[in-house]
Amino acid sequence: MTRTVLVTGGSGYFGTAVVDAVIARGDRVRVFDLNPPGTHDGTVDYVPGDVRDRSALRAACEGVDVVMHNVAQVPLARDRDLFWSVNVVGTANVLLAARDARVAKVVHTSTSAVFGIPEANPVTEETPPRPLEAYGRAKLRAEWLCRDAVAAGLDVTVIRPRTILGHGRLGIMAILFEFVQEGAPVFVLGGGSNRYQFVHANDLADACLRAADRAGPAVYNIGANEFGTMRQTLQALVDHAGTGARVRSLPTAPAAFAMRALTGLGQAPFAPYHWLLYGESLWFDTTRARTELGWVPTHSNASMIVESYDWFLAHRHELAGRTGSHHQSLARLGLLRLLKRLP
Amino acid sequence: MSVRDEPIAPRPAPADAVVTGAAGWLGQNLVRALAGSGRRVRCLVHDGGEAPLLEIVGPSIEVVVGDTRDPSAIDRLFDGARGATVFHAAAVIHPDGATRAFFDVNVGGTQLVLDGARRAGARRFVHLSSNSPFGANPSSDHRFTEESPYNPYLGYGRSKQEAEQLVRRTNQWGLLPTVILRAPWFYGPYQPSRQTSFLAAVRRGRFPLLGDGTNRRSMVYTSNLVDGLLLAETADIAVGKAYWIADAQPYQMADVLATVRAALEAEGLTVARRQVHVPAAVGAVAERADRLLQRVGRYVQPVHVLGELKDTIACDIALARHDLGYEPAVGLLEGMRVSIRWCLERGEAL
Repeated sequence: MTRTVLVTGGSGYFGTAVVDAVIARGDRVRVFDLNPPGTHDGTVDYVPGDVRDRSALRAACEGVDVVMHNVAQVPLARDRDLFWSVNVVGTANVLLAARDARVAKVVHTSTSAVFGIPEANPVTEETPPRPLEAYGRAKLRAEWLCRDAVAAGLDVTVIRPRTILGHGRLGIMAILFEFVQEGAPVFVLGGGSNRYQFVHANDLADACLRAADRAGPAVYNIGANEFGTMRQTLQALVDHAGTGARVRSLPTAPAAFAMRALTGLGQAPFAPYHWLLYGESLWFDTTRARTELGWVPTHSNASMIVESYDWFLAHRHELAGRTGSHHQSLARLGLLRLLKRLP
Repeated sequence: MSVRDEPIAPRPAPADAVVTGAAGWLGQNLVRALAGSGRRVRCLVHDGGEAPLLEIVGPSIEVVVGDTRDPSAIDRLFDGARGATVFHAAAVIHPDGATRAFFDVNVGGTQLVLDGARRAGARRFVHLSSNSPFGANPSSDHRFTEESPYNPYLGYGRSKQEAEQLVRRTNQWGLLPTVILRAPWFYGPYQPSRQTSFLAAVRRGRFPLLGDGTNRRSMVYTSNLVDGLLLAETADIAVGKAYWIADAQPYQMADVLATVRAALEAEGLTVARRQVHVPAAVGAVAERADRLLQRVGRYVQPVHVLGELKDTIACDIALARHDLGYEPAVGLLEGMRVSIRWCLERGEAL
C-alpha cells in the first residue's frame, strides 16, 4: 500500500534528500515548507506553511501516514526567539497535528548539538545530552516534547545526525569550498587532531526512512562509518581539489575567540556551535541504527566532502544571490576573506 | 453522626479541573499529575507558545491562551466548566520592574477567576496562597499556624493577603466553596530560571549566607504541594479554611545550602568549597531599600531576595496533616536531587 508521507522542511537542504528518498521508494510525498520544493514540480504535493501556524499544520497532516519533521532554524540563524518559536514550539505543533490526525509514525530530526562537547567518545544513545549553546538547548527541548508525546501514546522516533554533507550543502561549508577553490589556506583548530564525524544527506535520509518503517518509539545517533580527524578530512578535500590549497592549523582558544569576535561584529558568518565544536571530537557509535534498522552508511567523511565540493564547483555560478534555507545559501564572508591572503 | 474532628473520607474528585498559571512551576507539575490520572484539564496560560507544549502531554489537556486580567479569556477558560475543581495558581511573584502587576494580577485577576468559577458552577475553588501575607516569624523557633495574624511583607504579601480575603469572602457568602493553601519557597521539576540560578550559585559558593544561617525556612517540594492540592480538592472539612502546606519541618538556611551542595555532589557535580558570608545587617539594608523602592512602585528582584534571606519564614503543617491527611512524601535532599537531574537532563547549565 502506498503511504502518504509529510515532509516538513521538505524544500530545505536535508528535506530535499528526504523527499527524494521517499519518492524513490514509491510513497506519496507532501511537502510542508515556507518555500516551494525546487525540483519536484508535479510529483510532490506542496502545502505552503509555517510550523508556527497550527491550523496550517492541521490541514497538512490530513490523510498522512508518516510525518518526517525536518523544519528547524539551524545554528546560523543565531536567533533565540526563532530557536524557541520554530524549533521548540514548532515541534510541539507538528506533534500535536500528527497526534490529532492519527498519524502512525513521526520521525523527528534532532541534532548531535544536544551533546555539546562530550566528555568521552564515542557518544551513544545512552550518553546524557549536555548542550552548550542556544541551538542545542532548543533542540534538546524539542526532544523532550517528543518524549512527552510518546508518553501520551504517539509513536515518535528521534534521529540525531552528525554534521550533514552531500551535494547541495552550502552554508558554512561554502566558505571552506571557496577557500579551497581559490587555493587559499584552510584551517583546522589545534592541529586538527579532533575526530569529527560527518554524515551524508542520503545516508541520513535512508536512516530516517528505515526509522519510519520500524514501529515503536526509539532514538538513533547517525554518523558515517568511515571518518577520521578534521585534518584528515580537509586534507582529503585539498588533495582532491589540487588547487594548491593547504591545511593549516590555528591555536584553538585564540581562533575561537576571533570567530566569536568577528561574528559579534557581523564580520563572519559563524554561530556559537561552530566555535565551540570545530576543534573538538564528537563521534557517534551507530551500532543501534545498524542493528535495529539494518542501516548501512555508504559515504565516508572524505567521499562526502569531495562530492559536496564538486557540486559547489559545478554550481557556484548559479549560487550568487540564491535564496533558500541557511544550508542552501552562501554565508556572507565579511572580514574572513582576509584569511585568504595568508601565505 | 461522624466526629467532626476526624478527617472524613473524601469524595471522589470530579473529572474536570481548571488550572490557572498552568505553564508555571507548580502548574506544570499539577497539570501532569491531573492528566496522568486521566482527568480532563482546562489550562490558562498567558504565553501562546506554551500552549502546544502543555497540550502534547496528553489529549485530556486543553489550553486557553490569555491573561487572568482579561474577562474574555476567563469566559473561554470556564466555558463548560460546571462541576470542575478550579486550581488558581496564576500569580505574579517577581514582576518586571513595577509593583503594579502584584495587584492587577494577584488581586484583580483572582477576582475575575473567582467570578468565572462561580458563574460556571465550579464545584470547588482551591486557591494557592503564600507565606508572604504573614511576613517573617518573630524568632527562629516560632512557627506560623492557621491562627497567625496577617502581617504582609511588602507588595507581594499585601496582594496575596487581599487575594485570600477575596477567596474567603466568596466562600462566606455561599457563592462557591473554597480552600486556601499557603505554600512557602518551592523546589522541584519545571523550575524557573531563577531557581536554576540559585542552584548554580550554591554550586559555586556564591549564594550568600546571611549571618550565621540559623534562621529557618519552610520549603515545599512541588509534588508534596500537588499532593496537598489534590487532598484539599476533596476533603469536606477543608471548605472555607486555609492550610499551610510545606515539607515536614522547616530547614535552617545553612542546612538548605549544605543539602543543595550534597545533592549536587550526589548527582556527580563538583561543588566549590568556599561559601560567601554576608553580615545579617546587609539583609536589613536590602530590606529597607526594597521598602523604599516598592513605595514608589519599583521592584528589583535581587534586592527583594536579599532582604528576605535573613528572616525565619517557617510554618507548622499540623492542621493539614490532621484535616487533609497530608503527609509530605519527599524531603529536601531527595527533592533537590530530582530537581538537579531535571536541569541536567534538559541541558540547563548549573
